[in-house]
Amino acid sequence: MAVEIDTSAFTEEAYELLSELEDSLLELEESPEDQELIGRVFRAMHTIKGSGAMFGFDDVAEFTHNVETVFDLARNGTIPITKDLIDLTLGARDQIRAMLDAAAGGNAADGANAARIIAGLRALTPGADGSPPAAAKSAAGKPAEKEDAGPHTFRIRFKPHGDIFANGTNPILLLDELRELGDVRLIPFLDDLPHSLAEIDPERCYVSWEIFLTTEQGENAIQDVFIFVEDECDLNVRMVDRSEALAEDGPDKRLGDILVERGDVDPEVLEEVMQPLGERLVRSGLVNKGKVEAALTEQQIIKEKRESKKQQAAAQSVKVPSDKLDHLVDLVGELVTVQARLNQTSATLNDHDLQLIAEEVERLTGELRDNTMSIRMLAIGSTFNKFKRLVRDLSKELGKQIEMTTAGAETELDKTVIDQLNDPLIHIIRNSIDHGIEPPDGRSAAGKPSVGRIHLSAEHSGANVLIKVTDDGRGLDAEKLKRKAIEKGQLAPDAELTDKEAFQLIFGAGFSTAEKITNVSGRGVGMDVVRKSIDALRGAIDVQSELGQGTTITLKLPLTLAIIEGLLVKIQSEFFVLPLAAVEECVELTREDVSATHGRHVINVRGSIVPYIRIRDRFEVEGDPPEVEQIVIAEVDEKRVGFVVDDVIGQHQTVIKGLGKTFQNSEEFSGATILGDGTVALILDLQKMVRFVEDQEHVEAGISG
Amino acid sequence: MAKTIMTVDDSSSVRQMVGLTLKGAGYNVVEGVDGQDALNKLKANPVDMVITDLNMPNMDGITLIRELRALPAFKFTPIVMLTTESQANRKADGKSAGATGWIVKPFKPAQLLGVIKKVLG
Amino acid sequence: MDQDADVEESQEYEESAPPRAAAKAASPQASGASGETTQYLTFQLDDEVFAVDISKVREVLEYTNITKVPRTPDFMCGVINLRGSVVPVVDLRLKFGMSRSERTVNTCIIIVEIVQEDEVTEMGALADSVKEVMELEHSKIEPPPKLGTRLRSDFLKGMGKHEDQFIMLLEIDRIFSTEELSIANHTLS
Repeated sequence: MAVEIDTSAFTEEAYELLSELEDSLLELEESPEDQELIGRVFRAMHTIKGSGAMFGFDDVAEFTHNVETVFDLARNGTIPITKDLIDLTLGARDQIRAMLDAAAGGNAADGANAARIIAGLRALTPGADGSPPAAAKSAAGKPAEKEDAGPHTFRIRFKPHGDIFANGTNPILLLDELRELGDVRLIPFLDDLPHSLAEIDPERCYVSWEIFLTTEQGENAIQDVFIFVEDECDLNVRMVDRSEALAEDGPDKRLGDILVERGDVDPEVLEEVMQPLGERLVRSGLVNKGKVEAALTEQQIIKEKRESKKQQAAAQSVKVPSDKLDHLVDLVGELVTVQARLNQTSATLNDHDLQLIAEEVERLTGELRDNTMSIRMLAIGSTFNKFKRLVRDLSKELGKQIEMTTAGAETELDKTVIDQLNDPLIHIIRNSIDHGIEPPDGRSAAGKPSVGRIHLSAEHSGANVLIKVTDDGRGLDAEKLKRKAIEKGQLAPDAELTDKEAFQLIFGAGFSTAEKITNVSGRGVGMDVVRKSIDALRGAIDVQSELGQGTTITLKLPLTLAIIEGLLVKIQSEFFVLPLAAVEECVELTREDVSATHGRHVINVRGSIVPYIRIRDRFEVEGDPPEVEQIVIAEVDEKRVGFVVDDVIGQHQTVIKGLGKTFQNSEEFSGATILGDGTVALILDLQKMVRFVEDQEHVEAGISG
Repeated sequence: MAKTIMTVDDSSSVRQMVGLTLKGAGYNVVEGVDGQDALNKLKANPVDMVITDLNMPNMDGITLIRELRALPAFKFTPIVMLTTESQANRKADGKSAGATGWIVKPFKPAQLLGVIKKVLG
Repeated sequence: MDQDADVEESQEYEESAPPRAAAKAASPQASGASGETTQYLTFQLDDEVFAVDISKVREVLEYTNITKVPRTPDFMCGVINLRGSVVPVVDLRLKFGMSRSERTVNTCIIIVEIVQEDEVTEMGALADSVKEVMELEHSKIEPPPKLGTRLRSDFLKGMGKHEDQFIMLLEIDRIFSTEELSIANHTLS
């Protein structure tokens, strides 16, 4: 039968399994005794092998089979999980990937490499001499059948054991199957039936048969019919000559034979005997169904609770192409914009019914938006796991001993953010391995454990996610950084920097303090790329370091890039949006407040002094401010800063639109959004604005002083 | 009425392959991604036959077979396990847990249908 | 300049713009033996006529509400909402060093598609009025003079002549390059 099978289902799954395999292997290296992990590795290879063969990837299946065979020995404890085994298996994982890539039209996989891996794995097996394990197994099994010409008649005695139904076997079907092999004459035996009806156990089989089959097929074909019930029946198959057929048999058989010949007992009759029996079985079983099920459900609930969330998610997830998701987000964005227009229109028309509808639509839109955004949220764990391999390979290459730990792998982030986070994190980790962590002897000399540590963590913090890369290496030398920057002309010789500011120098273009250029980093590219990528994600980087103790680089990233909660404000006739996540409160600013502080841009908010920025002045907006202005107090770079506006309109679902390259220098705006009436409002980047104003005031103060 | 078969495998490609073959032969197909998933679904909606893989996370095939056999509704339902040649001993485990038969992976669609015919009719 | 006439001409543009093939088909007659022609959209700034290659023009909009982006040069009018996208608009008069003009019913925004740092993007150009779509033979286009125009020569592709009037053919990608738009940003800040 022809069934069209799409092999992409296999390859897609195989890639996923390979990535899981890698994670499991790396974990296994840390806890080689973990049977669950060994099982996971084995299962992944097992599935790749099994599906591979079915989908026509014979080379993949064969190669994987060889690897699986060795790992099976590890699974049953014959050989230990060693670093060599993990190395080889990781190599095998890469090889399988190469084979899949090759099948997808990539470069041909390196066959010699495959042979090397297999040879290496075999060398790990007990009594290994490099020769392949007994290959005869698969060929064994079917001795050549002696096929005489012409049909033969077989006598088959088939006596199912009483409990054969318990395995779900329906003997009638086996008889049917025999019928397909040739001409069948069948004699049922009912003499095992108890004499008293009360003794009959409806779940037991009391019937046996003797079958005469005339067929072109050999004995093996008949044995195959009963292959599943070999242990649940007495089976005797014998080829008989026509002439001797009836002569040597007992009276029962003769009677049966006659009965069949007469047509008094035929398969249909037999089936009717069986049928009510089966139905009664089910009925009797159903009596306790409710109770049993209740108990099982209770047990089930407890089990489910124990199961990790991850497994649950994996079991119930649906795969969706990401472009469909992107489209959905775009549509939701449009809907949010239209909804804002509806709100505005209904408010203008002052129609009560319309307003009710608008409110309902607003509620639904909000839910739809949150839901859509949550669909795009992915756990960062898979990204973390990729780095385990990176750390492992790099530390090996550089002769360093590094242990990587992670925390918060379940932290969820927008898919786009995660995708774009990969490269910056690679650069940061490479940098830590190359520049941060010392070689083992250097570490011992400094009184540190010889194994260096890199800790990767993620956690939620308001509308942001903090991702930290911490190492216990040599730390950054602020003085050295400053000297370097001055040498390179990136810093004025008399510049005064705090350590924190000095640390930021590492993100300058072409800046590298590595004394020798290694393969890994030190080419002066990398960290400036990190800054750019993080800026593009509207994130921030913070560096903390203690000389000799280690460095922590913290990336602060927004949860999502597409839609944010904004605070809509007005200055003269212009509208602006402030990210609501940063906003703490709004207070009034009167003319008296201004004169009380002698024109200094600070205000007393319940006892604490908060500096503020007059957006009107900053943006050179024409016209006069109202008598009472509003200050929006927000937290920027861990400080409270006020932003003075004419009026606070309220919360606004803000669909972020890029401003494009034309405004790449207008860094005080992170984008624009379209308001309900179709006009465009700019979204303020508070952090950038504060930095610009600080710089400017610095310069002005410098000039006047 | 078409008979319904549940296929249980943690490999979506195997499920797809088995599913396509069965649907092509006129059976209804429901899927389980592992033993636990299958058990939950089967308790709610019994089927005419179950085809299950053995190596699966959460609940393996052997346990699934044992659990199903303990349910009145599945006392006599044909359950076929998917095995590989390297799992000879698992075959015996499966049988003693109550499996009706087995299919050795890799298999071709025709082999699969042959086995179904044998146990389901 | 008669405003009514301008309105008619801009309407004529809207009708004739889509069937570019028809205009092309007529071109052999118009161009004679001398060879290829290119279609241009002409528009007016002050009393001068400018033109952009019609293949760059996406559409012509009536003047609409423009949101100013603070701390950008005067010639950056700001951004508009073009069917959900945010599109920057440049006042060509100010960019070319002319005086600011009053908005009239003829003031329009020509949306052009340009290549900005290898990215295709849309930009709006504010013009006093749109005139017509016309065809110019390549042979009739002269290289931009180094002197005499108030315009920087690298903003010009060349100069054409039509009914005794000089038409300045704009190098629109150059004018709207980020370099060109950001130089001014720096000088301002």
